[in-house]
Amino acid sequence: MLAFELIVQGLVQGSIYALIAVGLTLVYGLLRILHVAHAGLFTLGGYFCVLITNLLVGVLPSPTGSFAIAVILSMVVVGVLGIVIYRLCYQPILDKPPYVALIASIGLFIAMEELFRLVFGPYGISYTNPPMAESVEFLFTSLKQAEVLTMLGAIVLIGGLAVLASRTRLGVAWRATVTDPEMAQSFGIDIIKVRYLNFFIGSALAAAAGGLVALLSNLVEPTMGSVPSYKALAIIVLGGLGDVRGTLIAALALGVIESFGTIYLGDILDRDAIAFAFLIVVLMLRPQGLFRSA
Amino acid sequence: MFKIRSLQSVALAAALAAIGGTANAADTVKIGFNVPLTGFAAADGNSARVGAELAVEQANAAGGINGEKVELVVYDDQASPKEAVPIATKLTTQDDVVAAVSGSYSGSTRAAAGVFQSAKVPYISAYAIHPDITRAGDYVFRVSFMGEVQGRAGAKLIGEDLGKKRVVMITLKNDFGKSLAAGFKEAAGKYGIDIVNEYEYSIKDRQFGPLVSKIKADKPEAIYASGYFFTAGPLVSQLRSGGVDALVVGQEGYDSDKFMEIAGKAAEGVIITTSLDRDSKSPITQHFIKEFEKKAGYGADMVAASAHTAVGVLVKAMRVAGTKDRAALRDAISKIHLTASTGTISFNDLGEVRKDVQVQIVKDGKWHHHSVISDPDLLAPPSK
Amino acid sequence: MEYAITLGILMGNSVILALSLNLISGYCGQISLGHAAFYGVGAYCAALMTKAGIPFAIALAAGMGLAGVVGVIVGLASLRVREDFLAITTMGVGFLFLGIVRQQDWLGGEMGIYAIPDPGLGKTGYLILTLAVAAAVAVFSLYVKRSWMGFSFDAIADDEDTARMLGIDVSRYKLTAFAMGTAIAGLAGGLYAHDIKYIGPDSFGFVESISILSMVVIGGIGSVPGVIIAAAVLSVLPQWMQFIAEYKLLIYGGLLFAVMRFSPGGLAEMANRAIRRWAREKTA
Repeated sequence: MLAFELIVQGLVQGSIYALIAVGLTLVYGLLRILHVAHAGLFTLGGYFCVLITNLLVGVLPSPTGSFAIAVILSMVVVGVLGIVIYRLCYQPILDKPPYVALIASIGLFIAMEELFRLVFGPYGISYTNPPMAESVEFLFTSLKQAEVLTMLGAIVLIGGLAVLASRTRLGVAWRATVTDPEMAQSFGIDIIKVRYLNFFIGSALAAAAGGLVALLSNLVEPTMGSVPSYKALAIIVLGGLGDVRGTLIAALALGVIESFGTIYLGDILDRDAIAFAFLIVVLMLRPQGLFRSA
Repeated sequence: MFKIRSLQSVALAAALAAIGGTANAADTVKIGFNVPLTGFAAADGNSARVGAELAVEQANAAGGINGEKVELVVYDDQASPKEAVPIATKLTTQDDVVAAVSGSYSGSTRAAAGVFQSAKVPYISAYAIHPDITRAGDYVFRVSFMGEVQGRAGAKLIGEDLGKKRVVMITLKNDFGKSLAAGFKEAAGKYGIDIVNEYEYSIKDRQFGPLVSKIKADKPEAIYASGYFFTAGPLVSQLRSGGVDALVVGQEGYDSDKFMEIAGKAAEGVIITTSLDRDSKSPITQHFIKEFEKKAGYGADMVAASAHTAVGVLVKAMRVAGTKDRAALRDAISKIHLTASTGTISFNDLGEVRKDVQVQIVKDGKWHHHSVISDPDLLAPPSK
Repeated sequence: MEYAITLGILMGNSVILALSLNLISGYCGQISLGHAAFYGVGAYCAALMTKAGIPFAIALAAGMGLAGVVGVIVGLASLRVREDFLAITTMGVGFLFLGIVRQQDWLGGEMGIYAIPDPGLGKTGYLILTLAVAAAVAVFSLYVKRSWMGFSFDAIADDEDTARMLGIDVSRYKLTAFAMGTAIAGLAGGLYAHDIKYIGPDSFGFVESISILSMVVIGGIGSVPGVIIAAAVLSVLPQWMQFIAEYKLLIYGGLLFAVMRFSPGGLAEMANRAIRRWAREKTA
């Protein structure tokens, strides 16, 4: 059934958007910064994942196993890099007007894309032995294992984040810091550690998205992050800046809308325009976004 | 204070030197070359540059132009018209190039062509396909197929040579894709092709899930898909894993070993219309392929071959007409008959190339000869 | 000489464009990430008109007017949303504009519009025209800044709510800023189209919007001389840096980042600091 297939495809794409956008909204919720360079970490995560998988494929028997190790390593390394970016780039300019962080982030992102091109070459890289390429029967349609993994990955990772936020001490500390940093500090919460954690998690999720996208299209390019860099911004606005659940729903919704839009509205608007047309319409009707912000 | 000032004057001098351009090396023949080395088109730009540099090296190894060495003056235009125009102006005035080649995309080439035409400096487009590039004037030529011409060839290939009638089109939304689609649609009727549906996608798309689902429902016999290796690779891979087995026919945008790297096994059996025949018996083509791989470290692609050919045309024409009279050089180019890596090159009155269309197929993970389309009427580019 | 003239026209055009964004972002504090769309509206409008035979001056004025009208519409939208939302909404406007242009054949579609007629001024004449317009826009910007309008813009940029409480009609001023800025951008667009004589959707995208914003921010948001210098230098930087072509964009990104990180007020702030230090040394 075509409509069902299109919805599923939309959810797959939406899962990728969600993994990227959640990191962005986490940063915004905590620091009110539009962390455009986040998309650069998405790309970097993709590069690490492909490179490590390709390295391990000769050594380990199964490509899936190599991929699993690679994606976890990638998430950790990129997560740490996210903290580094916070420390070096954002922490010193927290007291400045918001456009300063935005432009700094944009400059950083451009520099990152160029570094990727200079270091990894302009042609992009691929998995030499793409893992999870077989198909799986799922209700009315057949999906690549990679597609199923993408959706599962988003559910598990973001769901895990939700559990972390509501059930653990760390999560409570984090939520307190978002709501009222000064109050949280007075209760003895180390807000610097909370920020580090915030950037780590967000960046790790983006890295996971990068590795998964590479599974889906088998190509990681230096400019892979440019579309997500602005689309993710639209998604977090739609979801209500700072609201993780809203962002998740907005991401999935956008994925599905794009899915139908590219097929049926392809004559009138292109894919990016569809996303932003949707955004503008929603903002005109509900200026605070689909879901009120935290 | 004094230290800062002297630092400033050093910086100023350096900047002026940079503006002034490269110091004039003694007696070289300068060929200008605008190409995207940074930005979204950097991959193609890099290949084109290596192809052009190879041609210059080969020309110099064979004695240069009547004893003088050939020098390639390369500038990065980021595939942007805004950057290309000042570059073209610089090449024609400050650098005083004898002629120039475009290794760039259509937008920048079109903008630059106007400048070269006004300055009456011969300009050859390697692979940019916008129809209006050659309409800039009689000093502008093109060594690659116009989109429409290649599209028509694709229609003959699918409808007549391969006998597939039920076709779905996937069109890249830029001048390349659209002109290919226009040519295809124009000739489709003649070969009995029924275009069931046409879908468009943007050059940034890599995820084609919804498209694949829709095409599965269309059940075509063949798919005519325009794109570049970085879009076609993911597209073909996703078509196959989505269960679409129909024949996929592409064009020279696919023509790179990277296509097989990305698509893996899915690339088997994909057919393209292009200019480079990997199995060619022509020693010139084989020589180019070997030399390019040695120089670049990866397999030759269409973009490199086209740039190589464009420079080759200039070199031959300069050997015939000399390098002092640009009008004579222009005439020599227009009358040229050259066997290059991309086939036998000659131009019509508009400066459009006349050559056969090579058809290649992916077999065992490599590009191989499939057939040749040499219908002069079908392939005739417009002449004004 | 011709090359220098070409660069001069490029510089002048960028100065006009950057000053126009300065009116919106620098004065009224509204960060626009889609300014290239208005540049594009003016370019397409003027190009289509001269191709239809309408005289150059009228086409330029029409481009300006249309861009201003579209600007007011977008401005009305900006009234409903604030700060961070606005940045993203304007970005969306940019994509929407391109998305529409790409699909309409009468607007040139993917191919763009080519063979735009030469206005007949010659290269030098065009340079003089561009520089004259740039000078006029600069004078206009300074005038606005010193006038009561400028004072209100400042107040709004500082603190919108307080400004509103003081009785300033925030909406009207925001709209005025948008209209002025976008109209001038449209004028720059028309000038651009008739210089390069070919326009396509690729010239008016998100990357272009960021470039313009960078010029304003590096110059010092709100500072007229700062923005002029930044625009003039940044616009021809790629040409000057051809000898390090491979690293151009890397340096550009790094520059943006470094300026924001170390001197967020841009060149203007750096100049102010230097002047104050020099003044102190003088009196010491």
